[in-house]
Amino acid sequence: MAAVGTSVPRRDGREKVTGRTAYIDDMSFPGAWHGVVVRSPVAHGRLKGRHLDPAFDWSQVVVVTPEDIPGENLVHEIIKDMPLLCDDEIQYLGEPLALVAAPTKDLAREAAGYITFDIEELPSIQTLKEVIAQYKTDEGKLHKFCAQTIVKGDIEKGFEEADYIIEQEYWAGHHEQAYLEPQGLVAVPGEDGSVLIEGSMQCPYFVALELLPTLNLPPEKLRVRQAPTGGAFGGKEEFPTWLGGYVALMAMKSKRTVKLIYDRHEDIRYTTKRHPSWSRYKTGFKKDGAITAVKVEFFLDGGAYGTLSSIVLARGVLHAFIGYRCDNVFIDGRVYRTHSFPCGAFRGFGAPQAIWGLESQMDLMARACDMTPHAFRLRNAVVPGDTTATGQTLAECEACGTVLERTLEKCDFEAKLARCTRGAQDADTWYGVGLAFFAHGSAFTGDGEARFKAKAALDLALDDAERPVVLIRCSSVEMGQGAHTVLPQIVADGLCADLRFVQNPLPDTALVPNSGPTVASRTTMIVGNTLYGAGRKLKAKLEAYASARFFESQAAILKDSVFSAGHDRVDFEEVALAYLKEHGPVRVEHQYELDPKIAWNQETFEGDAYPSYSWGCNVVELEIDRATLQIEVKKVTGVFDVGRVINPMLAMGQLEGGFLQAFGYALLERIGVRNGAYDADRFQTYIIPTMLDAPPFDFEFMEYPYTFSPPGAKGIGELPIDGLSPAVANAIEMAAGIRMTEIPVTPESLFEALRKQVKS
Amino acid sequence: MTRLDTMDCEFPETLADALELMADDTTRGVPLSGGTDLMVQWAGGVVAAPQRVISLAGLPELKGITLKDQCVVVGAGTTHAELRASEVIQARLPALAAAAATVGAQQIQARGTIGGNVANASPAGDLAPALVITGGAVVVAGVHGERRVNLTDFFKGYRSIDLRADELIVRFELPVNPDGSREMFRKIGTRSAQAISKIMAACRIRIEDRTIRSVALAVGSVAPTVIRLTELEAWLTGRVCDEDTIAEAVRRTVSAVSPIDDIRSTAAYREWVSGSMIRGFLDAFFNAEARERR
Repeated sequence: MAAVGTSVPRRDGREKVTGRTAYIDDMSFPGAWHGVVVRSPVAHGRLKGRHLDPAFDWSQVVVVTPEDIPGENLVHEIIKDMPLLCDDEIQYLGEPLALVAAPTKDLAREAAGYITFDIEELPSIQTLKEVIAQYKTDEGKLHKFCAQTIVKGDIEKGFEEADYIIEQEYWAGHHEQAYLEPQGLVAVPGEDGSVLIEGSMQCPYFVALELLPTLNLPPEKLRVRQAPTGGAFGGKEEFPTWLGGYVALMAMKSKRTVKLIYDRHEDIRYTTKRHPSWSRYKTGFKKDGAITAVKVEFFLDGGAYGTLSSIVLARGVLHAFIGYRCDNVFIDGRVYRTHSFPCGAFRGFGAPQAIWGLESQMDLMARACDMTPHAFRLRNAVVPGDTTATGQTLAECEACGTVLERTLEKCDFEAKLARCTRGAQDADTWYGVGLAFFAHGSAFTGDGEARFKAKAALDLALDDAERPVVLIRCSSVEMGQGAHTVLPQIVADGLCADLRFVQNPLPDTALVPNSGPTVASRTTMIVGNTLYGAGRKLKAKLEAYASARFFESQAAILKDSVFSAGHDRVDFEEVALAYLKEHGPVRVEHQYELDPKIAWNQETFEGDAYPSYSWGCNVVELEIDRATLQIEVKKVTGVFDVGRVINPMLAMGQLEGGFLQAFGYALLERIGVRNGAYDADRFQTYIIPTMLDAPPFDFEFMEYPYTFSPPGAKGIGELPIDGLSPAVANAIEMAAGIRMTEIPVTPESLFEALRKQVKS
Repeated sequence: MTRLDTMDCEFPETLADALELMADDTTRGVPLSGGTDLMVQWAGGVVAAPQRVISLAGLPELKGITLKDQCVVVGAGTTHAELRASEVIQARLPALAAAAATVGAQQIQARGTIGGNVANASPAGDLAPALVITGGAVVVAGVHGERRVNLTDFFKGYRSIDLRADELIVRFELPVNPDGSREMFRKIGTRSAQAISKIMAACRIRIEDRTIRSVALAVGSVAPTVIRLTELEAWLTGRVCDEDTIAEAVRRTVSAVSPIDDIRSTAAYREWVSGSMIRGFLDAFFNAEARERR
């Protein structure tokens, strides 16, 4: 019986639904102290001095300042520009200047109030709006963290060939991950100078490796364990490394276990968000709809430090023109500094911002040449053999056109299009339907997986009840997405044994090889395949053993948890027990092999940008109440190719959850920056959708497996957040006859746009 | 900052005991009913948590919904859940029932009370418009006796109500929606549920022979406190409810409100949509009346 393809119930489901799962703040650490972060009150300034008020009894607490950092005062991310604790030029409001640990959180907070700083405040630039205004007049004054271009063909020639040229700017704001469990870590110092960090995170090895130079520890002295993690969505990708630095420093100086748990307010104010974006599309096309030139400026607000913005930018530019044919493409991507909290990873990682612009622009072009949105897309959609903007020849992309066509058929798009009110003044309710078609590159960019060399292992061992168990050993985490159910399904099929023999303990860097960070829609596809390989190796090992031990050296085959040779049969359990008795526990390890045909130039961004792509198409139907301009999404229809679907129920959950997050991004979730601080900084003001906001979702999968990596999964995690925003804006134009170019689209912004339209 | 677990908390068993505590500076505390506003404000550091709290939970004098002489008497400790479920409120004060049903989440409705909603005095208080259209009164009490204040006068300004430090809100006396009148309530929140108001409005109106005989209109979240549109009401009374009347009513509504830009919405949108809401009410009543005549 194959486990892959069946809707096995979530392994962690019962514990979580019944509230029995212990998250890091639920765990008992007797005698633990509590840490707080002391932050900058200004957005930009020079730190001149620090004072500990003698009115406070400092013997009760431990204060950590930059001088206490044993190694380099630097966070080792991709762009290495951020100190762990600021000791010179402050770059954002809330930047950590010191840490305080105390026996209680109240005392730590009280002590923090007695630390004062001399700061010379400097002028700041706080928003992307200011950056873009500056860019349009005098770019030289801006601080650029990184840039990346993609060049294909001759853009000027492309515009010369065009019958029409359209230019439009698109804006997207900050976006908070809003995981259920806020950030939290605990650090436990060892007597030998070692440190254990445990808590909520996506990437245990980021914490374990990136902090070594900062803490000045050898690898064996820093151990990291993931605790059950209540949602992450990228928010716990790089940020726990910073938090781990804070909590480890406090533990090392106090020589005590220290807990550092953010409450919701602190979490929204002082953790990473999705990068705000501005993009300007200038596209040329012929009367028959053929696109001849695509020029994109794709700029991100990086916040105060570079951190991992360069790879967010990379994924952004790689999705700025995707899914369609065009011989002349020029994409200019940049990330600029603002004096606001550094932006970071969030599901989609630059792609949702890019596709927001691209799929809005597609509708503008369709209208200009008097074609329907779907006919224009079908006219330009890639087919096998076409090349992408980076020159990648798409081989396995049968899905792209069929996903689009199936969606149109599924929701009867043409009939719905005919019903659209297009701003009719006599309608009480406006009705519109909008389409977006998109792809998401699976796994690390280019040949990243070949350079990373993900490793995963299986341990055959005895469990507490002395029964044989196969333990998954990898650093990829369960964070709500279902890895702890899906990975065992894949292992069971690789091994050809029942799922009940496979367990997936929480990762501990002392015990697991580095299968990489839990990011980039790579876990099921890349780590799943690696574990599948390990399963195959363990199967071969046990077959060889069984052959010698039970079948008088006849070749044995393991299938459906039974070894057989000729007519003789022995259960998996009996063979495993005998093996363990004879040899003790055994580990088999496997390393991911990237398709050797993947060729990528990281400098020029030419070649195979991703080993494979997932495809999606979604259609939004909405109504707008003319009296209030409230926008009600009535239904979302979607068709998705994510390769082989490992667990249909969980995959559908990924889609629906991702779409609800995309719904908030498109229509509700808004953050402004005022005086350096987010103006929406708690759930009272940062508005995420509720169950009643959620429209009916009518989704289905079309399976085009990734044939190179059994069992053939492609990425699913990020795809569902990519395409809703432009479909909403496209539907709004069909309903209200006006093009919205900034998300979230709210009744207020729609009112403002309609008022301007009436005036002009 | 005061921690909730080190706060002094008194649990008087009768209203008289509670008023006794409130009468003296040394025993007075912040009155706490459901706590759904206060506890969030304290925990979030929006308002400093007090050292001392007087719990009003369980005071029998503050409970109950009774119908007396064309007046619904509602105890200040009545929860939103009780309001929305009450047959008396549903039948006699339908706008109030509708407003209570939009407050927060079900958990908030189970704890939050009508007295607390009014005492919190937020310009976005959901119940306020539905209360002021009744023309009713609030009864407050101190150790020396009770005071009866018209609800429209009780809401004095931004987060300000006519309540002295030694007084507690005891009950509301709300004239019922008379036969032949209709009520409506509409709230526009930041999302479909569990939302704070961007704007909300309530209306009580009687139309006969297409003529407006009496009308009460109130709008919330468009001024420092809830407002009754008294000038518009006077102008509307006696007029035939036709398209011209409705259009003028919308104009007058827009000029009567003074909303601001804030985290939830914009002044421009609120101004426009307050007019739309009044139009919606008049249209609906007019149409309902027209249907009945047919």
